[in-house]
Amino acid sequence: MKPFDQFDDPRRRILIQALAAGFFSTPWGAAAQSVFGSAPRRLPPGQSIYRTSGRVLVNSREATLATPIKPGDVVETAPGGELVFVLAEEAFILRGDSRVVIENPPPSSPLKTALRLATGKLLSVFGRGRPTRIVTATATIGVRGTGVYAETDPEQTYFCTCYGVADITANNDLQSKETVAATHHDRPLYITAKGAAGERIRRAPFINHTDQELMLIETLVGRTPPFVFPMNDYNAPRREYP
Amino acid sequence: MLPAIAHGADAEFTATILEASFTADNNVSRSSSDEALSDRFLGVRASKGFVLPVSTRTRAVIQAFAGGERFGTYSGLSHAFLGGQGDFQFRSSGEFAAASYSLYFRTQAEYYDSELRDGYRHAYGLSVLKPLTDRMQLFVAIQQNIGDGKSTVFDTKSTSLRGNLDWSLGRWDTVYLGAEYRRGDIVSSGTQSLARINVADALVQDDAFTDKGYIAYRFQANTGLAALGYNHAFAEKHSLDLSWRYAQSKPLHPSAYGSESDVRYTVSQLSLAYLMRF
Repeated sequence: MKPFDQFDDPRRRILIQALAAGFFSTPWGAAAQSVFGSAPRRLPPGQSIYRTSGRVLVNSREATLATPIKPGDVVETAPGGELVFVLAEEAFILRGDSRVVIENPPPSSPLKTALRLATGKLLSVFGRGRPTRIVTATATIGVRGTGVYAETDPEQTYFCTCYGVADITANNDLQSKETVAATHHDRPLYITAKGAAGERIRRAPFINHTDQELMLIETLVGRTPPFVFPMNDYNAPRREYP
Repeated sequence: MLPAIAHGADAEFTATILEASFTADNNVSRSSSDEALSDRFLGVRASKGFVLPVSTRTRAVIQAFAGGERFGTYSGLSHAFLGGQGDFQFRSSGEFAAASYSLYFRTQAEYYDSELRDGYRHAYGLSVLKPLTDRMQLFVAIQQNIGDGKSTVFDTKSTSLRGNLDWSLGRWDTVYLGAEYRRGDIVSSGTQSLARINVADALVQDDAFTDKGYIAYRFQANTGLAALGYNHAFAEKHSLDLSWRYAQSKPLHPSAYGSESDVRYTVSQLSLAYLMRF
């Protein structure tokens, strides 16, 4: 007898069969999902990718919805591309023109996940009790049970602790370090490659990521973010007829 | 005394939103087709809100707004407005697909170049905002509208049911579709005719169209509205918005005299707006 949480879900069976058959890899299936979107739900075991757009490479090979992503892989997006994917209890949105290396922490390490964001933009959510390290061009960040957003280039890193706790250190200046405990994007930061010792971390505005995106990727790993109301970023007028 | 604030949710101001728009309207007089007067107008609007968490799942949002519209030809329609809106919102959880419910009340004062139109406009209603997919979002509202003008012709009441579907084409582009059904009082302007006098609940010589000799008359009508818009965001806090709106109004109780076409009208509006938030 199967435990309650292992009962076969017919939708999951159909989805896995469709993935195996390459349904979403067909131009029709991918186009329909890309145009109208889909209602996000927890990804079934064995599926890593929720959505792709533009050119996306995993280990230098073109990715499809059926491509698995695992520790040790290198994931890249072309300009204008995007990848939404899951790795164990973590979920990510990798924006265009980005490159991330998913490292394989040694078994003796307390880290569950280690990421090296070489360039580009990455929104991430991590499971509770799963210490994680993110290394960017200018910063090393330790996070615990957190949603975070990072953008990096050789000169600086933008880092927002959307919620949870993050320990941030400038790569070239160990005196520049800060711990952020945030509930809702409380303290976005820039971490620069240059600057006086102890002064390479400074306040930044809230940019380039949304609460809707955090809710989306938390859903893919069966969780919800700690906030209930998203910040409204709708920018179109809803005029009323007088 | 302020209500207790839920852990992790602080009272805060929302972004300030500024909007500047240009609109071409083929029937600013809301007249039957043979008497329709077209015009163009520039609009500006600024708004700022304050969010006050009440509990984990509820919050109050208070917003103040002000602005105006300047018409090119029919200056009597030019006006300034100042108002506020209060929302009490509920959302069951932070799940992606959870709907947000809002009870709201809005009031605004309007100061026209036409004295007859000066007055107040109020609205209250219930709205629901629900993500359907990761690209589509549905907004539905039922609303009661109340107009309180200096002239009794502009004292109006109507009920509306409206829906809006936002369809995100990507991170920066949104197409939106809107539809509305409104039942109740509307005001139209035109020359005097038996059909208009017969259908009118109130009428007055319209001071916005004096050179045309139009009367403004209020009557009960069914009004249908449709909107199609495209919003392109750029540089995170700026967006450009192009929209088209169409409205058609027909009398609820046809006139015993003359033709129904004397008291029905259609309106087509094309707007280009620039929005900025900071």
